Amino acid sequence: MTVTSAAASPALLHGIGDRALTWLDDHREHFRLTPEDRGTTRGVIERLKPIGELSVNLRVLFREGVAGSHQHTRAGRLLDFAWRELLDGGSVLAAFQHEEPFSSVPLEIYSTFHELGFRHPGLESAVEAGRRTLTWSALEMVPNRRLGVINSERQTGLVPREDFDRAVSRTWLGGLPEPWTVQYHIAYDITHTVFHLTNWGEKPDGIPPDIASYLALYLPAWIEDWADLEHWDLLGELLVVDTCLPRPALDAEIWERYAAAQCDSGAMPLHHGMPDGDAAEVFDIVHHPTMVAAFASAMAVSRAMSATR
Amino acid sequence: MADALAEQTGAGAVPLSAVIADAANGVVLALRGEGDPYALSRLLRQGDALASAALRVLGRDALAPYALDHRATPGGADDAAVVREALAAYPPGPDASEVSVWSYRGLVEASHAFLPGGADHWPQAPRAGSAWVTDDPWPRFSHRTSQLAALALPGIATDLAGRLAPRTDDLARGFIRAVRRRDWLQAAGLGRWLARLGQVPPTLGLDNGLVFVRHMSDGDARVALHLAAARQFYGRGG
Repeated sequence: MTVTSAAASPALLHGIGDRALTWLDDHREHFRLTPEDRGTTRGVIERLKPIGELSVNLRVLFREGVAGSHQHTRAGRLLDFAWRELLDGGSVLAAFQHEEPFSSVPLEIYSTFHELGFRHPGLESAVEAGRRTLTWSALEMVPNRRLGVINSERQTGLVPREDFDRAVSRTWLGGLPEPWTVQYHIAYDITHTVFHLTNWGEKPDGIPPDIASYLALYLPAWIEDWADLEHWDLLGELLVVDTCLPRPALDAEIWERYAAAQCDSGAMPLHHGMPDGDAAEVFDIVHHPTMVAAFASAMAVSRAMSATR
Repeated sequence: MADALAEQTGAGAVPLSAVIADAANGVVLALRGEGDPYALSRLLRQGDALASAALRVLGRDALAPYALDHRATPGGADDAAVVREALAAYPPGPDASEVSVWSYRGLVEASHAFLPGGADHWPQAPRAGSAWVTDDPWPRFSHRTSQLAALALPGIATDLAGRLAPRTDDLARGFIRAVRRRDWLQAAGLGRWLARLGQVPPTLGLDNGLVFVRHMSDGDARVALHLAAARQFYGRGG
């Protein structure tokens, strides 16, 4: 038995995402790679990552069908901008693959665009050349990211080189460790494992039953704690995990605190309040929590309308 | 509660926290089966205002060693006098919190069971409300429960334990939150209740958790008391 709190209203949930998408669209130029970024591998990866996350967000919005017509139009324009302007129709990814032939990064970014109907045949053949090597599956990376790579292979119609279940068992969450040991970085490992298990919320039943039970039991404790710490980025990711559970809580009190943290412009602060700095500096800090807010909102609205509580 | 009482008693030579820690250490030794046979009146003396305040904080735990029949001689008149004084000093008023009433009630019941004088010579156990057990959201519920950890002993407060048992999952959440916040006293209190209630989710890792709390609490005597009770009476915590 537990005392169940009230569920957040769909209007509140929707408003967070609507405002977040508006801010992302208003600041879309900041996603662009600068010549300086292109100068180093690290610089390119640092800029590609947000573009990949933006595409995931937009895909979730389309998939869940929760956007109003205005929001839908805005999301479509933003997606076209990301593919054509930011990635130059995929050429930016292909160029990076040429520099780093065995990197999985381009595939991880490309897979979402591929699902949304965008194609770059040259990149696909370059990825396939890399995938043929033993190096591809031997690349060292944290276990939850390995799940992401396998998912990207699936999304682009490729047969993954590795067994998904075995990869799950290597993650922190797959071991069901003591929940009181969860710290900041472990919490992100948890959220990312769930994102990949469910393909960014598309298949909530992709979470194995033992992991779903474990999360249902302990997730409220982590959510409560990071809400109290006002870590809005991590809280947003944990709220997405909630929406992926068989019976999401969509706790009204927590969502109201989350909504209250959002800036009027639509930006979601990373931690406590909005940072100081020029527009580019502020973008670098808050673009991720703001994308998380859009993601969490879309998932929550969808589940509020469909899930059993 | 200890901090508030310390302020009330003024900045004396010996702070209340030290008196509480000293008494708690005595209880821990007795629960572990170490040291001399336990006698409350050797730790807390009659006529000492701090002793009454410390007894109010420790509550029923001050008499816990008497539940171990092989480790303590039965409570004597001196022990009874100390407890009676504390009960008279801090009767729960009309505005007392439910937690305070439960705590007082626990000490009264233990006095009936372990101290001489017969029931006629002790205050009646007050009725304690328990709506919070079913109505409070888990963070407040688990915090309140931890404040009543002295009642997590075999054979007492069985009604309360029966009502807490269906919310074991919420106590597990409270344990996680307390560890995350490094609130070792709350964590130890919740761990002790979880040890008593049984049916702890295996994935919580309670035994490792209690060892961790002991390690991190840096010798805090009240934390050690909860952990000693969990181990002595329920075999939890390694």
